[in-house]
Amino acid sequence: MSARVLYLHAPFCKRKCSYCDFASFATPAGDPLMASYGAALLRQIDEAEKIGLIDGLDTAYVGGGTPTFMGGSTVELVERIAALGPSEVTVEANPDSASLDLLSNLRDAGATRISMGVQSLDDGELRMLGRVHDAQTALEALHVAVSLGLSVSADLMCAIPLQTPSSWLYTLGGVIGAGIGHVSVYPLMIEEGTPFFQAVEAGEMPAPDDGDEAARMEEAAAILTAHGYERYEVASYARPGRMCRHNLSYWTGASYLGIGAGAASMFGHDEIPLVADAFPQIGQVPANAHRIRLSCKTDRRLMAENPSLADQVIDVEFLNERESLAEDLMLGARMARGLDRDLVSRSRDVMGQELDECLAGLIDDGYLDDALAPTEKGWLLGNELYGRLWDLAEAAD
Amino acid sequence: MIVARIGRKSAIIFYMSANETSHIRNFSIVAHIDHGKSTISDRVLELTHTVEERDLDSQMLDTMDIERERGITIKSNAVRVMYDADDGETYQFNLIDTPGHVDFTYEVSRSLAACEGAVLVVDSTQGVEAQTVSNAILAMNANLDIVPAINKIDLPSAEPERVRAEIEDALAIPAEDAVCVSGKTGAGIHDLLESIVFLVSPPSGDADAPLKALIIDSYFDQFRGVVATVRVFDGSIKAGDTLHMMAADSDFLVDDVGAKRPAETSLPVLSVGEVGYVVTGLKDPGAVHVGDTLTGASRRCAEALPGYREAKPMVFTGLFPIDNKEYENLRDALEKLRVNDPSLTWSPETSVALGFGFRVGFLGLLHMEVVKERLEREFDLDLIGTSPSVDYHVFTTAGEMLDIKSPQDLPSPEKIARIEEPYLKATVIVPPEYMGAVIQLVIEHRGIQDNMVYLAENSVEITFFIPLAELILDFFDQLKSRTKGYASLDYEFADYRASDLVKLDVLLAGEMVDALSFIVHKDKAYTLARGLCDKLKEIIPRQQFEVPIQGAIGNKIISRSTVKAVRKDVLAKCYGGDISRKRKLLEKQKEGKKRMKQIGTVDVPQEAFLAVLKVDDE
Repeated sequence: MSARVLYLHAPFCKRKCSYCDFASFATPAGDPLMASYGAALLRQIDEAEKIGLIDGLDTAYVGGGTPTFMGGSTVELVERIAALGPSEVTVEANPDSASLDLLSNLRDAGATRISMGVQSLDDGELRMLGRVHDAQTALEALHVAVSLGLSVSADLMCAIPLQTPSSWLYTLGGVIGAGIGHVSVYPLMIEEGTPFFQAVEAGEMPAPDDGDEAARMEEAAAILTAHGYERYEVASYARPGRMCRHNLSYWTGASYLGIGAGAASMFGHDEIPLVADAFPQIGQVPANAHRIRLSCKTDRRLMAENPSLADQVIDVEFLNERESLAEDLMLGARMARGLDRDLVSRSRDVMGQELDECLAGLIDDGYLDDALAPTEKGWLLGNELYGRLWDLAEAAD
Repeated sequence: MIVARIGRKSAIIFYMSANETSHIRNFSIVAHIDHGKSTISDRVLELTHTVEERDLDSQMLDTMDIERERGITIKSNAVRVMYDADDGETYQFNLIDTPGHVDFTYEVSRSLAACEGAVLVVDSTQGVEAQTVSNAILAMNANLDIVPAINKIDLPSAEPERVRAEIEDALAIPAEDAVCVSGKTGAGIHDLLESIVFLVSPPSGDADAPLKALIIDSYFDQFRGVVATVRVFDGSIKAGDTLHMMAADSDFLVDDVGAKRPAETSLPVLSVGEVGYVVTGLKDPGAVHVGDTLTGASRRCAEALPGYREAKPMVFTGLFPIDNKEYENLRDALEKLRVNDPSLTWSPETSVALGFGFRVGFLGLLHMEVVKERLEREFDLDLIGTSPSVDYHVFTTAGEMLDIKSPQDLPSPEKIARIEEPYLKATVIVPPEYMGAVIQLVIEHRGIQDNMVYLAENSVEITFFIPLAELILDFFDQLKSRTKGYASLDYEFADYRASDLVKLDVLLAGEMVDALSFIVHKDKAYTLARGLCDKLKEIIPRQQFEVPIQGAIGNKIISRSTVKAVRKDVLAKCYGGDISRKRKLLEKQKEGKKRMKQIGTVDVPQEAFLAVLKVDDE
């Protein structure tokens, strides 16, 4: 067996946004590091294919950071991925670097989908977030991508300081008006180690108010649904046929390979021998390992110099069968279609009565409906829902 | 691991025969908190080659983590150093470190009882402060030779001449020859050691008389049993002796004797005048009482040394394990701490909200914090401490007097004839410009001013009586903030006085939570109830339902606040495929919840039970 889902990470940005704690670094435009880093990723794709870790792809995703900031290197990567035959290839883009030329080159290389980091269509809010683009640039980039025939998604951020209910409606209306097929909605999170975290700690910035967050999330759900977008995951809305199949893989227990500084991978039981072959540095795999999660911690410069899979610094985590099932239940509850019947029955074989007690409790407490799909409360208070499902990972004493 | 180096010459006379008491100097270093006592102790160890500089973990004598972190000495500790003096002779110095906080005044006095001299350290940038005065008085009462030392002279803001005058004016201690030192740079430490040789009297005592030795400290070693630190006043102690503890009225066989240098070093004998340790082999941590007198089992001394008295706990709090299964472990841990902290007392207490625990008595608030922290760290217990209370004398209509140490035990109002509460006599020393602020604060805390004198041009001493219950609430923090840190405080128990006191109860989601009740003066009940409800609203995290918080006296609700229900709690952000990270965030959230106590349906964090200490006065 091989993974049929591939993620590539581009840890480069023109500027680091004030809220961002992702693996990405401000980089001078045209820094030769980006080209050598891109070459390192190509080398690792070759190795993975040779070992058989990947063999033909369903979906691929180039995320970041800002893949469009890497320009031609990203086009080359897309070209290479396309040769593996995926039917969905998403590239994350920043409006600032999503030029007509680059987007059409990406399309010609095989990209099918663009995920645009819009965040807001209010210039004041964008400046506050430390974004490099303005609202006009964002709208133009969306229109260009749509007119090139690409499937387009916009990431939007709510409950940010300065945002008002009406500016939020303006942002939602703006991206809907651009005719895109997919929208993701995230409340601003204050992550440790970011300038926003320091500002909140110092009392210079208000901590996000969960009442505002709930209201903005509900408004987004109402407006997007009214315009033909279906909420298929806690933060994701799509018009018919426009769901992100790549992201669905993350939530349904499919194996995926992540390549690049900061990228995460997941492999099921059957691929473990291949993984041990590709990454000898992870050492002994426990006998009861049912799932293996890797996270690449290599510095991007070191990766450019030592491009082999075996050279990478990897955090590894092994999950046993019960943990893997609990994880799938936890992730399944993020989706509108709810917990898969087959997954529930496989879980029952391992967890027995504990599973049924947990599910009955979640229904009684109003987090899940009778079809085991999240309720309105299950969307807004998801951590309790996910937490209780993940608690099934360990047998009660 | 600390390796002590014994100098060549010192090694020869590291232990002395009894007739050499003329070369022994037993002394303490006393100071107001933060005046640099521990740093000076370190320099003394270094200059006498007791420890090499590279081995000198900062502040050697403060052995507990908490002591180093907080920069305070809590436990006494005796170290022997050998000093080659300018006169060509080598002297045995026994440096007995003393606690630096007003809570531990009793420990200071019992350490001083083992000395002939005291180095009184005064910070040259701060001058004489409240504990400088109280320590100087303790040292004078113990008839010690006082060696004044003016510290931190390396700082640009040092004013040694002003401080010298202050020592003479405020303390009536001659200071024209006071040594100027810097614990930080080591300047003047040599002069200080020379002053100790010349100014501190050698011990006097009869080597041939029956043994008479004072237990100044003790600790429990799991392999050797109780180890006592002692000062020999008459006679001597060696391994194999059978000794008698006079107050405890029990005997033990000496396994070993020695001195700390600072590592324990075994010796053939502890002679008259010396300070050292005695390994008792006793397995019961409670068998040895600090302050007790040791004598020979068969050849006893006529009378015990003065010095043994029970340290009286002043502040009481309920300590409850979050997990009730830890109750027995908590009891064992308290037993172990009591070995070298005889002031610790407790009795079982039951709370509807918190289950089984103990009402524990402490010398003061710092003592309480330190003990709680040690229980949590050294014994790995998760504890909830309830609001501190004092020992009230409640006179019932039936004519009885009850000692009430917990608000829960207060009889209903109709059965109470009157309540008396403990008062302290407190001293604040402050620059004159803050006099008004201090007096205002004293009045707000029901204090009664007693006296006010200028100690020096820039230093006023205000004495007043104040209920202990007021002092333990937030008096000290307020005093520090309103005087920009210039005020220093010292206090001692005065007497019991009648007060108009009521019990304030707190209800969470309509349920009375006994562990949140406390006793308060009637005039302050409303303000405090309002402040407490607001504070609890900040502390109690939002739950998935609304939580009303109410303050009540009897059946009457006098204040209210509400913790709003949480509206949104979900990680919507997509971390690509990094599911591990997402899960870790969920686990972290759960971990936080585990540290809380579920009362009824409400998750209550530990600090909620101490919220009353944090209520703002406004």
